[in-house]
Order: sequence, then structure tokens, then C-alpha cells
Amino acid sequence: MGNLIDGVTALLLITNLMLLGSSFLSSCIRIVALQGVAVGLLPILMHERGPLWRPLLLGVAVMILKGGVFPFVLSRAMREADVRREVEPFVGATLSIVCGVLALMLSMWLAARLGLSAIAPGTLIVPAGLATMLIGLFVIASRRKAVTQVLGYIVMENGIFALGVALAGGIPLLVELGILLDAFVAVFIMSIATYHINREFDHIDVDQLNKLKG
Amino acid sequence: MIATLLLVALLAPVLASGLCLLMPRPGAVLAVVRTGGLILGAWLASLACVAFKAGALYGAGGWLYMDPLSAFHALVLAVVYAASSVYADIYFQAELADGSFGLEQARRFGSLWFGALAAMTMVLVSGNLGLMWVGMEATTLITAFLICVHVRPLALEAMWKYLVVCSVGVAFAFVGTILIGASAQKLNLNAYELLLWTRLRGSAASLDPAFMKLAFVFLLVGYGTKAGLAPMHNWLPDAHSQAPAPVSALFSGFMLNAGLYCIMRCLPLVEGALGGSGWAMHLLIVMGCISIVVAAAFIAFQHDSKRLLAYSSVEHMGIIALGTGLGGAGVFAALWHTLNHALCKPLAFFAAGRLGQVYGSHDLRQMAGSLRKTPWWGAGLFGSLLALIGVAPFAIFMSELQILKAAANARAFWAMGIFLAATCIVFVGVLRHAIEAAWGESPVEPQVENAGRASQALVLGGLGILLLLGLWLPGPLSRAIEQAAAVVRGG
Repeated sequence: MGNLIDGVTALLLITNLMLLGSSFLSSCIRIVALQGVAVGLLPILMHERGPLWRPLLLGVAVMILKGGVFPFVLSRAMREADVRREVEPFVGATLSIVCGVLALMLSMWLAARLGLSAIAPGTLIVPAGLATMLIGLFVIASRRKAVTQVLGYIVMENGIFALGVALAGGIPLLVELGILLDAFVAVFIMSIATYHINREFDHIDVDQLNKLKG
Repeated sequence: MIATLLLVALLAPVLASGLCLLMPRPGAVLAVVRTGGLILGAWLASLACVAFKAGALYGAGGWLYMDPLSAFHALVLAVVYAASSVYADIYFQAELADGSFGLEQARRFGSLWFGALAAMTMVLVSGNLGLMWVGMEATTLITAFLICVHVRPLALEAMWKYLVVCSVGVAFAFVGTILIGASAQKLNLNAYELLLWTRLRGSAASLDPAFMKLAFVFLLVGYGTKAGLAPMHNWLPDAHSQAPAPVSALFSGFMLNAGLYCIMRCLPLVEGALGGSGWAMHLLIVMGCISIVVAAAFIAFQHDSKRLLAYSSVEHMGIIALGTGLGGAGVFAALWHTLNHALCKPLAFFAAGRLGQVYGSHDLRQMAGSLRKTPWWGAGLFGSLLALIGVAPFAIFMSELQILKAAANARAFWAMGIFLAATCIVFVGVLRHAIEAAWGESPVEPQVENAGRASQALVLGGLGILLLLGLWLPGPLSRAIEQAAAVVRGG
């Protein structure tokens, strides 16, 4: 199992960097979908004691939502707004990747410094989860399009989910499902909002939503 | 039996929410909102009274839980929600008359309005910290579209900001919740008990202190975003100014308090794990002071009535955080202040919203002379502004005085100084606006109409209760607040 967990962790990190380097929204959506599936595998692989059906149910639910439903909803939002590319983000692709690597180093250091890694020994899930979370935040802050910001939110959610699986393996199923439901509603509502923003403003550049001040 | 009572409080709003979607006319939706709000508010309030009497209500193995702290907040929620529901009827009747409130808007408003109640009730009755978080995130998601009942560019902007800032912020709180779970590793709890508050509270001393410190930082940032504590308050003035007045009232009157409630819920766990070192309390004091100062700086230059009230909410949330952080008598004063603020701020939003409709603008300079031209709501705005800035003998003055006293007792003189200086700035800044709004000369001639009996009851009731509580705090209420404060102190 150890190898598989390492593989999934690596996939998590690779998808992060790919996302940072990509400017086509459709490929961004696909990358985040792949990451969603990877994250869904984690509870199943990390499973140690108790009945298997709980992590299985949770993992499958995550994979269906993050690998299937979210990409579908977001692709529709993207088509309706007729936006294909993230043009001129605040931070360019190369610099973004550098920032991503820095985020990874910071998370490694943080995890070691705070003694978090001791909880899931032998794996890199804790630093990887932290890095994913930070990179999600970075995407939210550094991209202009509403759709990309939603992607950043999902990536952050993925990171937190990985952290949750590693740190508190035994979060009750009901709570996990509630969290998943919230994430689903959040993405759903954000894409409806994207639709309205596009209709009212004729664009989905959220950096231009800046009339409210003071 | 008890579990059923709590479940009804949780599920009845969901049913009412569905009912709103079936109503054939906008007027019918408003009738459902008004009656439903009153009935559900009464239900929640009586449940809270039962909880005070019994000490705590349990259900579903501790997953449903109402102790004096949540009961007190449920009481606040009940009052704010019922009053705002009655006011929503008044407010939207005016829009109904000019045709801007159609069936689609009415159904959307009604169903989300009750949905918001369900989510907030869930925050209060969850004994499981994870479910509490789920409820908190749900309040963000459900109320997002309440901000743009009318889809307009500015409302959309405010809503997007609210949605992104609050969901990201609340995600931090979830990391904190996970860390609480991680700090309980030594206890070897099974999944079912891992995040149960009662279970953690019972063995707080054996939680890992380093993890709990880290957890509290995340929780404070996360739930603090939702509570509107500076510097995470950016979303607040935009959302409050763009939302319809009843929604702003519910936001300020209770949703912000729900964020603080979550912090108060975790406080005894952290302090218990740290052996009562006061580390977490100090952090709260610092956050409170920052909020008070930032709010004072923005209030001084604010002309938009609803933005002014929004910044005033930041200030008051800061005061409550400060009081809680001081500990001892400060916690009592902070909770009392929660109640006073929740009585006063909705009234101020009611008046600002109604005057905004009558004058066609939320600018305080346009509303000048409101006391002469629209006496009821003009008096409501003037009175509630006076109460908000701490004019004696309104209740807010009394609770602020107690917080000052607590600060002196705790020898936190720097916090006391900041608090006094900032409230003086707010006092002068707001008083200037309030006097102009009450007696000035307005360029706009309002479309005056007589305030109905419900409006009069809201204004009289709100100001009357604030005055009464300032002069005399009834014994049972005082005991209830004391019980709730004991939970926060972790005694």
C-alpha cells in the first residue's frame, strides 16, 4: 500500500504544478478533475481498521463529485461565458510554478517544524496536503476569471481533504459527507454566480468587480 | 424525546422553505415568512428556555446538544429572526407595490430565508465540531443568494466577494477542526466520538497543547472571517450594504454572532489543553482591539447608512471578542453585549432600509430631516444609532461599561485605552451623522406614508427593550447569561 500512497501523493503534487502552468481553462478543469480522483483514492488506501465500506463509500462519492460532477458544471459555466483562456493572470505561468515549488518547500518545513508529519509516518501526505491548500489559495488570489477562482477553491478543498484523511483518519462518515455536500453546493452556487456575472457584466473577470470600496 | 424537539427545530425550517416554493403569489410567500418566522422563533426560544432549566439537552448520543451557551445564542437568534421576518413583510410590501418584487424573487427569498434559519440552528444544536462547521459553511452558501434577491451588478459583486472570502475563510476553520481531532490522538477515541464537544471537554487537559495552539489560530482566522473580525472583514460592508435590509439585519444581528459562537465553543477546549494559561484569550483581545480600531477609522468617514452600520458591526464584534478575551466578568459582559447588539442593530437596519426606500437613497445626507418627515422610522434610526454608540442609559452603554470594568480588573490597560479612544471616535463620528439625519434639511422630498402598526411595534419594542435592559436586567435573564458565561470560562 505504501507505494500506492506515495504514487497518489506524487500525483497530487504534479497536478498542482500542471495547473499553475496551464492557461487553457478546459485543460485546467481536466487537471483538477484528475486531482479530485487522486484525492478520492486516499481514504481507501489509508484505510487501516474498521469496516472497509465507509472509506469506500466516501472515496467513491469524492471521485464521482470531484472527478465527474464538478468538471461538468464548470465546463458548462465556461462555455456559457465563452471564455477559453486565462489571459494575463496577475502572476505568469513560469513565476506561478516557482511559487508552487516554494509553497511545497514551505509546507515541508512547516510539517516538520510543527511535528505534523509524525501523525502519518512514512508518507508525505501532510506536506502534500498543506502545499495543495496553499496553491489553491494562490490560484484564487492570482487569477482573474471567476471559473479559475472556483478551480482554486476546489484545489484548496482537495488539500484540506487530504490533510483530514491523514491527520484525523477517523472523521465520522456523516461529517465527511456533510463537508462533501457543502463543497458541492459551493461549486454549484459559484457557477450560477458566474452565469449571472457574465450576463450582467458581459465578462467574468472578477478583478473588475471593484466598485464597492471604503 | 429531547432529540425530537431539537430535530423539529432543525427540520421545520426546511419544510417551511419548501412551502415557500409552492406559494402562488409573492404576497402569500411574505405571509408564510411572517407567520413562519414568528412560530419558529417562538419554538426556538422555548427550546432555549427548556435548556436553561435543564442545564443541557442531549440527543442522538451527544450529536445534538444544547447547553446554556448555545441556548443563549438560540434565544438571540429567535428574537432577531422573528423580528426580521415581520420586517421582511413590511419591507417587501413596498417593493411589491412598485412591482420590483416578483414571484421568482419572492420564492427565492422565502426559501433561502428559512434555509438560513435551518443552517444557523444546525450550528447551534450540533454537539459535533465537524457538523458545526458544516452548518457554518452552509450559512454562507445559503445566504449568498439572499444578498442578490435582486440581481444587480453591485449586488453580484458583493455576493461574489462574500462567497469567495467566507468559503475560503471557513475552510481555515476546518483545518482547525481537523487539528483538534489530531490533538486528541492520545485519547484513542473512535470516529463516533472524535469531534464530540462533550467528550473533548471532559478530557481537555489531555489534549496535545501544541496542536491545540495551532488549531486555535486556524479557528480564529476561519470563524473570525465569518464573524467579521478585522482584518478579515472586507466582505462585510459590501454584503451588508447591498443586501435587502431584512437580510442585513439577520447578518448583523445573528450570523456574525454565530461565527463568534464557534470561537467561544472552542475556547474552553484550547484553554483546558493549555492549562488555563490565557494564551488563546490574549489572542482574542488582540483581534478584538484591531477590529475596534479599524471600524472606528472607517466609520468616521462613512456617509452610506448601511455601510456605516456594517462597520459598526465590526466594532461591536470586536468589543464582544475583547470582552470574551478578558475572561471572568468580561465574558458575562460580552454575552450581554451580544444580546444588546442583536436587539439594536437589526432595528437600525430596519430603519435605514425603510428610509432608504422612502428617500430613494441610503446616503445619510439625503435622509436629512427624517425625524420630521417620517417620524416612526426616523425615530427608530436616531434612537438605535444613539444606543449603538453607547449613549446612557441604553443597555449597550451598560454592557460596554462592564467590559471596561473587566479590563481594569484584568489590568489590561492598553486594551482599555484603545477601546475608549476608538469608541470616542465612533461616538463623535456617528452622532454628527445621526443629528443631521434626524433634523437636517434634505434636498429630497420623501414619499411619505404612514407607518403601519407592525412598524410601530418594531420601533417601540426595540428601543423600549434596550432602555429597559439598560435600567434593569431581570434576574432570570442575568442567571441565563451567567450560565452561558460559565461554559465559555470552562469552569
